[in-house]
Amino acid sequence: MASRSGVFSSSVGTKIVIGITGFALFLYLLIHIAGNLMVFFGPAFFNRYAYVLESNPLLPLVELGLLAVFLIHVYKTLRMFLSNQDARPKAYAVKRPAGNPSRKTFASSTMIVSGLWLLVFIVIHVKAFRYGTEYEWPAGGRDLYRQEMENLSNPLMVAFYILSMTVVGSHLFHGIASAVQSLGLNHPKWTPRVLLAGKIVAALIAVGFMIIAAWVYMNQPGTGRVHV
Amino acid sequence: MRLTLKIWRQAGPTVAGRLVEYIEDHVSPDMSFLEMLDVVNEGLIKKGEDAIAFDSDCREGICGMCSLVVNGVPHGPDRGTTVCQLHMRRFKDGDTITIEPWRAAAFPVVKDLVVDRGAFDRIIAAGGYVSFNCGGAPDGNAIPIPKDIADVAMDSAACIGCGACVAACKNASAHLFMSAKISQLALLPQGQPERYRRVTAMVAQADAEGFGSCSNEGECEAVCPKEIPISNIARMTREYVKAALTASK
Repeated sequence: MASRSGVFSSSVGTKIVIGITGFALFLYLLIHIAGNLMVFFGPAFFNRYAYVLESNPLLPLVELGLLAVFLIHVYKTLRMFLSNQDARPKAYAVKRPAGNPSRKTFASSTMIVSGLWLLVFIVIHVKAFRYGTEYEWPAGGRDLYRQEMENLSNPLMVAFYILSMTVVGSHLFHGIASAVQSLGLNHPKWTPRVLLAGKIVAALIAVGFMIIAAWVYMNQPGTGRVHV
Repeated sequence: MRLTLKIWRQAGPTVAGRLVEYIEDHVSPDMSFLEMLDVVNEGLIKKGEDAIAFDSDCREGICGMCSLVVNGVPHGPDRGTTVCQLHMRRFKDGDTITIEPWRAAAFPVVKDLVVDRGAFDRIIAAGGYVSFNCGGAPDGNAIPIPKDIADVAMDSAACIGCGACVAACKNASAHLFMSAKISQLALLPQGQPERYRRVTAMVAQADAEGFGSCSNEGECEAVCPKEIPISNIARMTREYVKAALTASK
């Protein structure tokens, strides 16, 4: 009988931990994009929303929790990836996808690549927004709207963001449905629907973030760019 | 039919192997894949060369011995079929076919296309059994089991332990095999006394054997000659969680 501490390090326990943390990060992304969409309502609305959020005394605790979930997800997936490499030391000369009903896709085959890309992206992204140049907003809090405008004024940066959102979409394309299966949920009627819904939501999140980045770039104040 | 065969040759477990090319001119479309290899071997033996070692037993798709990766797919291109039930009419004259053994750290190559699947036996020995003495055969209707439950248990029990799931998985994971064995016993009354001990011990044994984890791609289900679905893997996860939550020691 395995000890309870060993439960989470077994191959099944690892899946559960990665599934729970992955699903939590997906839920966070839903809140994240909902907040970001408020940028369309202009600086006053957006900064007011940010101020309400940031003035919540529980926020540092939530941030720490999010960081912990993120780090556990990264640590467990990297450990799993390395031990999975050991499980097949000699590769096939020829290996083809087996086809239906396999769920193997380009996205599922490149989870480690998309994951590592997102690790780099998130470091750059958090540095720019959480620890970037701060401006005060007269009505309270910081002028996050201006910060976002400045962060996304460089076309190279916008291109990097849009590319990274494709990677987010790819990671979620397999990740959402995979997390559901990892948590032991499988139902003859509901699983096919969850698989499809996961892919649609993944695409919506990716496209949504891309539209926000592109809109911010095209609506730079004082650049003469036309509002669309 | 004339075929170009690229076959993995490896003299023993500790020596390096390589793909060797053979041209076979006299292949009938009515031959099974293994009969085609028999013909190749007859030619090799006549020339005084070492025959290609490959596993087979019943040659009717029920024993789980045959284990060839054909053109990158375990058991070849047909769904729900072992490689012994694959026929040469599935290929075209002039085709090149690559044949490799199952590849996994836990399935070391014994010779050529033969691998040691003893790891599966050790997983079963760790818990894939019912150990109490049930006495004589009970009356068929003494323990009522709902038809739908009996069906799912029977479908799980169809696993022949061939190892194609491990061979297909990018992580060489044994989760589909284990989950089929765990499901068939967890669903039936006879499996209840050892239910949670079983899942914990089998997962621990599979990890110790060096099989990988599961990435939920489902390649295993697609190559399984018995078409065992990955819903079994989800059931194994549930069993594992219940075992962890209810473990008494």
